[in-house]
Amino acid sequence: MRKIGDIIRDMARASVIISPRPCRLVPAVLLLLLLTASFCGAHTEEQLEKHRHGGAPIGEGAAAPLGVDEHLGARIPLDLTFRDDNGRQVRLAELVNGPTIILPVYYGCTNVCNFQQQGLASALPAVTRIPVKEYRVLSVSFDENETPVQAGHAKKMYLAGMNAPFPADGWHFLTGDALNVRRLTDAAGIQFRRAGRDFIHPVTSFVVARDGTIVRYLYGTTYLPKDLTLALLEARDGKVGTTIRTVVGYCFSFDPTAKTYVFNLLRVSATVVILSAGGFLAFLLLAGRKRRIRQPGGE
Amino acid sequence: MSPAADLPTTDSFWNDTGRRGVAAWIFSTDHKRIGLLYLYSVLAFFLAAVILGILLRLELMAPGRTIMGPQTYNAVFTVHGVVMIFLFIIPGFPGAFGNLVMPIQIGARDVAFPRLNLFSWWLYIVGAGIILASLFTGGGPPDTGWTFYVPFSSRTGTNVSLAVFGVFVVGFSSILTGLNFVTTIHRLRAEGMTWGRLPLFVWSLYATAWVQILATPILGITLVMIIAERLLGTGLFDPARGGDPLLYQHLFWIYSHPAVYIMILPGMGVISEIMPVFSRKPIFGYKMIAFSSIAIAAAGSLVWGHHMFTSGMSDNAILVFSFLTFIVAIPSAIKVFNWVSTLYRGSISLEAPMLFSLSFILLFSIGGLTGLILGAAATDIHVHDTQFVVGHFHYVIFGGAVFAFLAAMHYWLPKFYGRRYAEKPAIVAWAMMFVGFNITYFSMMVLGMKGMPRRYYDYLPEFAPLNLASTIGSWILVAGLLLLLANLFRGLLKGEPIGKNPWGAATLEWTTTTPPPTENFEQEPVVTHGPYDFKGAGIP
Repeated sequence: MRKIGDIIRDMARASVIISPRPCRLVPAVLLLLLLTASFCGAHTEEQLEKHRHGGAPIGEGAAAPLGVDEHLGARIPLDLTFRDDNGRQVRLAELVNGPTIILPVYYGCTNVCNFQQQGLASALPAVTRIPVKEYRVLSVSFDENETPVQAGHAKKMYLAGMNAPFPADGWHFLTGDALNVRRLTDAAGIQFRRAGRDFIHPVTSFVVARDGTIVRYLYGTTYLPKDLTLALLEARDGKVGTTIRTVVGYCFSFDPTAKTYVFNLLRVSATVVILSAGGFLAFLLLAGRKRRIRQPGGE
Repeated sequence: MSPAADLPTTDSFWNDTGRRGVAAWIFSTDHKRIGLLYLYSVLAFFLAAVILGILLRLELMAPGRTIMGPQTYNAVFTVHGVVMIFLFIIPGFPGAFGNLVMPIQIGARDVAFPRLNLFSWWLYIVGAGIILASLFTGGGPPDTGWTFYVPFSSRTGTNVSLAVFGVFVVGFSSILTGLNFVTTIHRLRAEGMTWGRLPLFVWSLYATAWVQILATPILGITLVMIIAERLLGTGLFDPARGGDPLLYQHLFWIYSHPAVYIMILPGMGVISEIMPVFSRKPIFGYKMIAFSSIAIAAAGSLVWGHHMFTSGMSDNAILVFSFLTFIVAIPSAIKVFNWVSTLYRGSISLEAPMLFSLSFILLFSIGGLTGLILGAAATDIHVHDTQFVVGHFHYVIFGGAVFAFLAAMHYWLPKFYGRRYAEKPAIVAWAMMFVGFNITYFSMMVLGMKGMPRRYYDYLPEFAPLNLASTIGSWILVAGLLLLLANLFRGLLKGEPIGKNPWGAATLEWTTTTPPPTENFEQEPVVTHGPYDFKGAGIP
């Protein structure tokens, strides 16, 4: 079904370029196809894209799966070792001693990782739990080449960006070798891929309980303090929650010229509606009241 | 369904000869029969959606899972919204009371296109059937919320396509009813029924009908686009493919905000009918009330963007939409002030229709003023997508439109059945509903102010007490509603018979026999006085 859509879209685009009056036929073709397809029944519904929320740019070759395969209720291994932002070797078990929010990011990221961490930094002051005592945040770089120095810069930046006092022990910025990173992301079902100097990766974070059980995934770059508080409460109680917001914004290049056909479709329909309604009103005003001749026995 | 045989109903529309049994109803082109068909259809959907509403409140009675899980909750609030809005309140007033009363009020024998009128009802029923079918087929009931927002609605595995197609069909029913009413009001007014003598209910239906004609096609186009997106993958709303997700929100609200006025304007018309009759005084500011209906319909068509302040529109657009939203408050307030002025030094009689009308004014005012909190960009950011919005909307639509609908049922149905309800139980039911309503929805507004989001089956422990209060309020509300319906329909079938004009009203429908004959009047009426000129009508 997608293919038909692509064809229509391409046709529409082509007509925009070639024809001076582009979209006369497209709405009609579209409507015809639509009506045919709508009778194919409800079973042609696109299946729920199960937990594939990755913001994978369109057009990349899909060698390995990308996105998130949620492992709610599974445990992440707590014996993994990373380096913290001071270069000290730490075991995950030392840091995960209560509800913990984990963000798989990389510090050299020029795009969404920054928004994501800044989003969390601005939401944390409004979370009604006490950091360190009741929860902790871990940013984990999945770029094995990154160093604690880069992690330290990131820490300084986001703690400063919080505009509220936050204990340094409340948010750690970790780096580690490829094996440890892979074991962590595999356990959480997070699939990413290196693309040149960057990474293609889903914008997500997850919350684990003291024993490493994954209780919730949080998607996107904006965090609502209520979502966070609720997730932390569930992590405290050991309850595994469901995903709240499953739709993530794509990272895309916006091309306004490509949307012309949508607006032409709308312009045509709007003109038809306005002209018909205007004509109707004009008729009513000109025709005035109907002269009634009473005929016994009905019309 | 027919009233008892001891009434002088020989020439009433109940005794119309022709088809027999069910066929006499479902194939009838008599506007009164079609009105009753609509009334019972919309009431059936109303009660079904009330049950869903009660289930939602039960789930929210305590934090965590109470009676259903998140997916069920999503489906239940979606179906509650879709049924209430598209199958009850939008077709409710024009379909039921517009059909029953409007042609008689302007002195016509029927609507301009009686067969089209019947076809509208059939389209409504077919559309409703499709929506119902969507609940049990495909991927199950839709879980998108009644707004069908993309990208979720274009991706979810639930049966959105079929539900949206059902709403599309119901939309056509609405457009045809609008066309029919506009033509009827222009063309079929009786002699002497000038525009300045039109009852205010007719004025409000006229404004509503134009909104139906102009706005509903946009909903149709939008819904077709969702289906195209789902089935053909056209990418109209998909930014990765050159589409625009914000476009959907614009298109949806260009219809759905004016649709709120389809719901409330006829309700305001009902109140404008009841106020003067039960105050024994001509309406204050007839022209301004009539004008304000048109002004609300016009201005209300330009404010859709206030639903999208947090969606990423430009600040300039937000400023303009916010300003226009405040403009709508002016004609709404004109109506409220004129109703209150009508009461001033009137001889007020507190019977059931009047009690519902008075509570309409209070509840609608609360709903309207909280609407300004949402219409102001700054405060909207704080309460957007919280329970505050749910509370506000129910104040306008339930406290406003539905209370007016109940007022209309008590005011007009006795005319068509020839019998009336018992007054005392009606007043008790009203009191229960009024108290239950405020407990239920005021709690929601407070919860929203405190930050409880809408559309979640679970919440933080600090929100528990008010949620419990709201749920208990919903029980009182529904108990009142059931008492009201039982008393009303018992009265209509077995109550005390009434004469031509039990309330002492001056509009045309009270001059014909009770129940009205098939062609509405024994003799074609000639109108010589205004609709609220009690002296001119010879009513003491």
